Amino acid sequence: MELLFQTVIDGLLIGGLIIVVGIGFSLCFGVMHIVDFAVGEWVMLGAYLGYLLVAYFGYDPMVFLPLIFLIFCGLGWLIYPLIYRAVSGKRHNPVIMGLVFTFGLSIIAKGGALSIWGHHIKSITTWLSGKSIMLGIGTVPALRFSGFVFGILVTIIFMIFLYKTRAGIIIRATAQDRDTASLMGVDVRRTGAFVYSLYAGITGMSGVLIGSLFSIHAAMGAKYTTLAFFVVVLAGMGYVPGVIIAALVLGLLQSFVGVYVGGRYTLAALFIVMYGVLLITPKGILRRGI
Amino acid sequence: MILLESLNLVKSFGGVAAIDRLSLTVEKGMILGIIGPNGSGKTTFFNLVTGIFTPDSGKVLFHGKDVTGFRPHRIAKLGIGRTFQVPAPFSKMTVLENVMVSTFIHARTMKMAKEQAKKILGLVRLEEKADQQVLNVTLEDRKRLELARALGTQPSLLLLDEVMAGLTPAEVKASIELIRSLRTKDLTIIVVEHIMDVILSLCDRLAVLDYGSKIAEDIPDRVVNNPEVIKAYLGEHYRARN
Amino acid sequence: MTFQTEGARINHTPVIRRFTLPGLLLLFFLSLLLLPLFLSPLWIRIATEVLMWAGLAQSWNVIGGYTGYLSFGHGAFFGVGAYATGILMVHLGWPFGIGLFFSGVLSAFLALLIGYPTLRLRGAYFAIATWAFGELLRQVATILDITGGAYGLQLPAFLNLPFFYYIMLGVTGLTYLTIYLLLERARFGYRLLAIREHEEAAEMVGVDTVSIKIQAFALSAFFPGIIGGINAYWVTYIHPDSVLRADITDFMVVMAFLGGIGSLWGPFLGAVVVQLVQRVLWLVWGEGTFYLVIIGAAICSVVLFIPNGLIGVLEGQIFKPKEAIKELKKKVKW
Repeated sequence: MELLFQTVIDGLLIGGLIIVVGIGFSLCFGVMHIVDFAVGEWVMLGAYLGYLLVAYFGYDPMVFLPLIFLIFCGLGWLIYPLIYRAVSGKRHNPVIMGLVFTFGLSIIAKGGALSIWGHHIKSITTWLSGKSIMLGIGTVPALRFSGFVFGILVTIIFMIFLYKTRAGIIIRATAQDRDTASLMGVDVRRTGAFVYSLYAGITGMSGVLIGSLFSIHAAMGAKYTTLAFFVVVLAGMGYVPGVIIAALVLGLLQSFVGVYVGGRYTLAALFIVMYGVLLITPKGILRRGI
Repeated sequence: MILLESLNLVKSFGGVAAIDRLSLTVEKGMILGIIGPNGSGKTTFFNLVTGIFTPDSGKVLFHGKDVTGFRPHRIAKLGIGRTFQVPAPFSKMTVLENVMVSTFIHARTMKMAKEQAKKILGLVRLEEKADQQVLNVTLEDRKRLELARALGTQPSLLLLDEVMAGLTPAEVKASIELIRSLRTKDLTIIVVEHIMDVILSLCDRLAVLDYGSKIAEDIPDRVVNNPEVIKAYLGEHYRARN
Repeated sequence: MTFQTEGARINHTPVIRRFTLPGLLLLFFLSLLLLPLFLSPLWIRIATEVLMWAGLAQSWNVIGGYTGYLSFGHGAFFGVGAYATGILMVHLGWPFGIGLFFSGVLSAFLALLIGYPTLRLRGAYFAIATWAFGELLRQVATILDITGGAYGLQLPAFLNLPFFYYIMLGVTGLTYLTIYLLLERARFGYRLLAIREHEEAAEMVGVDTVSIKIQAFALSAFFPGIIGGINAYWVTYIHPDSVLRADITDFMVVMAFLGGIGSLWGPFLGAVVVQLVQRVLWLVWGEGTFYLVIIGAAICSVVLFIPNGLIGVLEGQIFKPKEAIKELKKKVKW
């Protein structure tokens, strides 16, 4: 019973963090129809940047979250024009070009990280590391809990932004119909740049938390790219609110398979679930995808 | 003899009905015109008949057989051909190759497919452009290519979706002649068009859609004088003009 | 004669070129047949590897280039082939040839399984699913006993360099021949191209797009399965980090793109160039990980600057004057 409880809590806590990785990724697809294969690499770079900042300044990594968010927003802003060029203009098949381009970006990031930091595994220590919180009948590592809180906070702010602010409405309008939005005076390109940099910022920031929860290494991106994919397939491609449920489901699944079957089978289990979803309900478990 | 029949078709997108209990019958050998304001469901109707969309409810019967929910390629094999409102050519192929992809459906060899495609290009007067890349041909030629590709599947029912939009008056006239020449007792045609002159000079019968429902259907002369049609689509100035 | 605009590939060249082209190809393959007589073992090895990659890149090109659906886990089929051949030879004692054929069939069958749900959806789903499949197989190979887990599998050693050169030449030649006949000469190829250019319109003229796409994917997985099997027998020792490593897919993608997707010779050219560049880089820097950055940068630059690859650039240079003249003629006529 206690194990079950612990497993559920663990799953939900991980799920909270997966939301953050999935949400920007989903928005990116919804608005620009770009599947960013480099999503895991943004997480990885965020983790490394957090590690570097902590190593250099010695403060707690949480202090740097806003700074890291801004830095990654800037990076996204810089990279977006290239992506835009890849998917627009006289390109023959924009979707393919976009996919391949971000695929190339992910290889650059991975190769770059490998070349700089090698295969060594690094980690970030925070003042929460090792502490735990009593919650009902089980204990919860404080760091995991704060990761979850972070995930929920980011999600809430994000949702408020998306549904209540002017910029958010413009973004959603663009996601619904790019042509109509541009007829209404929306600068689709600028909206795209804005969304991409927002996405990069959020994902990079989540990397810091992931990096302090788990270990940091150059090849870690693959895992989060996979998770982001699965979340989005489960949620329905481009359907942002579905991400929350999908991420929690995935978190639970991961934690249950990890505890009751064995950690090395998680990817296989996730894959089977994704395969089943694609087979039965390709628009996601909520049937709201595009 | 009834060739195509739609029974109480319903299709909605995000809660808004694009097609609302639409029933239409098309007799073999006729040219039926469909008119209606933008968004009245004309193209959606074509998409339902050709299997690009599956209706929420209702049926499509072709040759008396229920074909509702069939995938488009099966519909094509059964003998329904269509053109797209915005020409959708295979851009990196030649004009001839475009048509060949559709003549493959009945031709047994590559050679036969090529011969059939050439014959059809002759029919729509595109034979001189046969070896050109589609990227290099004009809009009028692309529209003709749409027609040629639809004919390539040897349809018994042809759905033409605004094949004349964007053409000059001279080109429109030529297209009308062309469609008239296609008309045989074995080829039934449904024309969606905004240009009233085209409709009046081509069609045997005329149906009017508004908000996804049929508000009138009769011979063209009577339809254009129907007050409800004038209100919904043609506008008062049309009555004044006539 | 029609000018082939960027990346167009179905041949509608004049009769003369139609006859000279196969002739030249024959000559090319004959010279490849005689190659080992003149080369040192090191160069035979390099040539074998180039052939291997040429075959792999071309296989990727079937689904990625001709059909327009990106498989980002294609390396998995190479790994499946390697492991299948290895397991059949080691555990069941099957002869190499039969194991090889079976590897190809198994790869194609797996492609069928992956393709069936995903090829009905948009291309992004397919890209994601194939990528995840690649990740999955690497893990599965590490877990299973029959694959030897993380330690891998030792195949019976057969040290005969020319043998591997010739069999690689044979299989790669067969790959190119099959693709030439099926994709450049038969209706299958026209249909694939129609799907890539406008899927809905293709469906509308009677092309069963889903079935054709699945067939194309199975075909594109069949050859990597066989090539993987040859590779396993050649290197004699396989493990998840060798035959299932992620950069096998990366290489296929960069070679096909650099050479020019959707063309018969693009991937071959890409394989030659990338392999040679890689050798040079190894000489200069030694074995490192920086080559990944270069691969990635190459992919990105091709997308940005020469989306039709080196073949597109070459064709552009050769054909441009003719096109200009033709354009001029057109203007005068009208």
